[in-house]
Amino acid sequence: MKVVQQFLPWVVFVFALFYAGQKVVNPDQIESQYNLSAFREIPVSAGGRTKPLDTVARNSLMNMSGRQSLKTEDGQISAIEWYIELITDPDKSVSRRVFRIDHPDVLAMLGLQDEDRTRFSFSEIIEHGDEINKQAGDAFAVKAKARDPFQRAVLVLNQRLMLYSRLSQMKEPYLVPPLRIGEDWREFVTVLTENPGDPDALALLRMLQNYRNQDAEKFNKSMLEFNQLIESQIPSEARKARYEVIYNQAQPFITATVLYVMAFLLGCFGMLTSQSSKSGLSKALFANMTSLILVAFIVQTIGILSRIYLQGRPPVTNLYSSAVFIGWFAAILGLIIDRQMKLGLGGIMASAIGFGTLIVAHNLGSSGDTMEMMQAVLDTNFWLATHVVVVTIGYSATFFAGFLATAYVLLGVFTPTLDRERGKSLSKMIYGVICFATLMSFVGTVLGGIWADQSWGRFWGWDPKENGAALIVLMNLLILHARWGGMVKDRGVAVLAISGNIVTAWSWFGTNMLGVGLHSYGFTNSAVFWIMVFVISQLALMAIGMVPLQIWRSKFARVPTPPAAKPTTTSPTG
Amino acid sequence: MVKKLLKPLASLKLSVVIFALSMFLILAGTLAQVHDGIWTVVDDYFRSLSVTIPLQLFVPQDIAKIPGAIWFPGGLTLGVAMLVNLIAAHTVRFKFRKKRIGIILTHLGVILLLVGEFVTGFAAQEGNMTIREGETVNFVEDIRTSEIAIVDQSMPSEDLVVVIPQRQLAKKNAKISHGLLPFTIAIDEWMPNSQILGPMQDQHDRKGRADSGMARELAAFPVPRANGVDGATVDAPSAYVTLSKGDRQLGTYLLSLFVNQPQAVEVDGKMYWISMRFKRTYKPYSLYLEDFKHDLFTGTQMARNYSSQVRLIDRNRNVDREVLIYMNHPLRHAGETFYQASFLQDDAGTVLQVVKNPGWLIPYVSSGLITLGMLIHFGIRLVPALRRRS
Repeated sequence: MKVVQQFLPWVVFVFALFYAGQKVVNPDQIESQYNLSAFREIPVSAGGRTKPLDTVARNSLMNMSGRQSLKTEDGQISAIEWYIELITDPDKSVSRRVFRIDHPDVLAMLGLQDEDRTRFSFSEIIEHGDEINKQAGDAFAVKAKARDPFQRAVLVLNQRLMLYSRLSQMKEPYLVPPLRIGEDWREFVTVLTENPGDPDALALLRMLQNYRNQDAEKFNKSMLEFNQLIESQIPSEARKARYEVIYNQAQPFITATVLYVMAFLLGCFGMLTSQSSKSGLSKALFANMTSLILVAFIVQTIGILSRIYLQGRPPVTNLYSSAVFIGWFAAILGLIIDRQMKLGLGGIMASAIGFGTLIVAHNLGSSGDTMEMMQAVLDTNFWLATHVVVVTIGYSATFFAGFLATAYVLLGVFTPTLDRERGKSLSKMIYGVICFATLMSFVGTVLGGIWADQSWGRFWGWDPKENGAALIVLMNLLILHARWGGMVKDRGVAVLAISGNIVTAWSWFGTNMLGVGLHSYGFTNSAVFWIMVFVISQLALMAIGMVPLQIWRSKFARVPTPPAAKPTTTSPTG
Repeated sequence: MVKKLLKPLASLKLSVVIFALSMFLILAGTLAQVHDGIWTVVDDYFRSLSVTIPLQLFVPQDIAKIPGAIWFPGGLTLGVAMLVNLIAAHTVRFKFRKKRIGIILTHLGVILLLVGEFVTGFAAQEGNMTIREGETVNFVEDIRTSEIAIVDQSMPSEDLVVVIPQRQLAKKNAKISHGLLPFTIAIDEWMPNSQILGPMQDQHDRKGRADSGMARELAAFPVPRANGVDGATVDAPSAYVTLSKGDRQLGTYLLSLFVNQPQAVEVDGKMYWISMRFKRTYKPYSLYLEDFKHDLFTGTQMARNYSSQVRLIDRNRNVDREVLIYMNHPLRHAGETFYQASFLQDDAGTVLQVVKNPGWLIPYVSSGLITLGMLIHFGIRLVPALRRRS
């Protein structure tokens, strides 16, 4: 039995690694006599970034239909198959159901209200093109914040239709590579008309014609020829594009999400069994949880490193990557804490944060490229690598303290799990993480100030995002000083730390909702709702945390607390 | 004795209260930016002794209309309170021990940081330099203040300029005269922010209100002060003014920031040029804009970079050199810093932000101190505590 207990975590570790690696070792093969696996690796330029056609096809389909593949009458087809059909056989492609429409009034406008589905084809929609144009024009004239849901839905549909036509007319992406390194990408149709002898454009044209003529052998041959051209003209972009296809296939953050969920469940079972006589079982569950988190962490690290390589940027460049990074850093904190104090709580909270932030990231990433180019003012790797990374670590640590505090409250109130010693050490963990969070959020904020001073001459401008960062610092300072002054004890620190979650969520997302200031980039509408849900849940947790200690099921609370520790003392007990 | 008096001021409870109040103020000052411009908010909330916070800020207008407001200490008050609290704490409890060195450094840094923000608040000056390609500019404009300028160009080597500052314009029924001017200027209506309607638009009762000058076909209407949300952060004031010589009226003019050129006024055969413009401060140096560049990412409308190729000429300092000013790479000269801030339509010119902040170094020093202090404090106390645990 003991042997099993010792080796099981290793077995789990290895299995989880296999699970994570299978997509990389054994990528989805496209069942086609055409060499589409090579086709999707072709580098192109869209949104100012060089990326493989695979990414363009996936992101476009995701943007229009909310999925990365397409269901048709003859089975599922991949994004790249849909894309090549779109540009070589537009007449067939217009009947593919790729536009997701949910708003009932929009459906009624298109005469589609009686259809029992949510995805529609270009030909179904474009019949009403004039009406869509008119409605979109009206909606566009209204200020973004004042638009009603119908107007927003019309504008989304309009944007998707425009994307569709740009893709089908091959205006986007730019398909013709630069002839030499340092030159620009070119638009296919423009090159063909202005410079009909261009070797790249001609090779591309031959390839597409062969596909249209359904001549697989010729297509594969012309594919190879085009590949050779690219290899000689832009070898490093071609290499990156191939890597990005592997990255798209592997979907490391989805794998990590699954692993975090499993780890979280194991951890919860471990917590439930920790008080009973089977505490050996609980230890085993925790050990296996740690294995899963380790693998999730490794996978997430590889994902982040891949993005750094592909983008040539530090890890955090937008809201999407900040979410991924917060979860990643929480995993580090959780693993360290579990090594220090073997309660299993570090892992449970790390997996909860990891899972939560990856879901957030997944939703943020669903509207397009998550590796978009940076606005001019943000175009500096030095400050992205310092200010942004440190501030994000500050977010992560503040969240972590808040989540540990949530565990303190929930376990304390509803379970008898927290005895005196565990309560003390959990509280000390919260305190330690808050100290770390204070340091990181302060340093991060100050680095932001220095960046601001360097780039527009103002160390501090009272911009909403700056204010949000200051709020996190002040919140953490408030907790520390309240504790040092003896105004709150363990329970009070926990309740305050939960309110730190609200402050952090506000700083991270809420300020982007305001739509003012230099930092108001990248905001989505449905986020408002979920932020409200989060805030209310945290307020509820704080209320639960404030019920009289007599009601708490954990016994430690009923023992009278010893006299307040002297200010600034952190002497350990027991 | 002093210590006894200071004791209540030194308490940690006071610190916690100040933190909480500051958080509320910052939150309110953030929300207020939805409706008011950032500069109004900074002046009202963060650099004031007290502020009246409307409760409506905390609830979106379309959910509920909330009347009423609360009085709240402003940023200046809270900053001073924090300063007093800190200094009192260290006076009362000051005991130099190795263990406390981190805390002392941190708090010293915080004191310096607060002082730095006061210095910035009182002494920093910001302005804009708008330069068209091929033009030379030797003045900085304050886009938050306007003035009326009357120019006499009759002298061969230099112009005589009489300037009426904004605070004079805002006075009710202001009547302005000056020794260099043969006429008086009565401010009939001053509009801190305005919109202009052309001759083909419905100008209501304002049609023909200005009877002289280039802008007599136009009409100006007052509009609310600019806020950050609508994208327009700058007020564009206008004024109707009547010029008189003795008892004789010379005419009513519409002066506005929307009217690009000075309008001619002829008095006894002599020409004067009158205009409304942003408040100017002339400098001993000048900038000549050779080229403004606005690069886009391939195939997008997204800006990759903005840059201004300028020639800096400062005779007093014997400076004449080429400079490239671009994002994150400002020019520093004569205690002032020039940042790439904006540009004119069709990339016809550049807008540089010019900042003079004598206290610019203070935040660097103070945040260095605080960071060092925290590292030492948490290092000394936390690491061994964790180590003992394991």
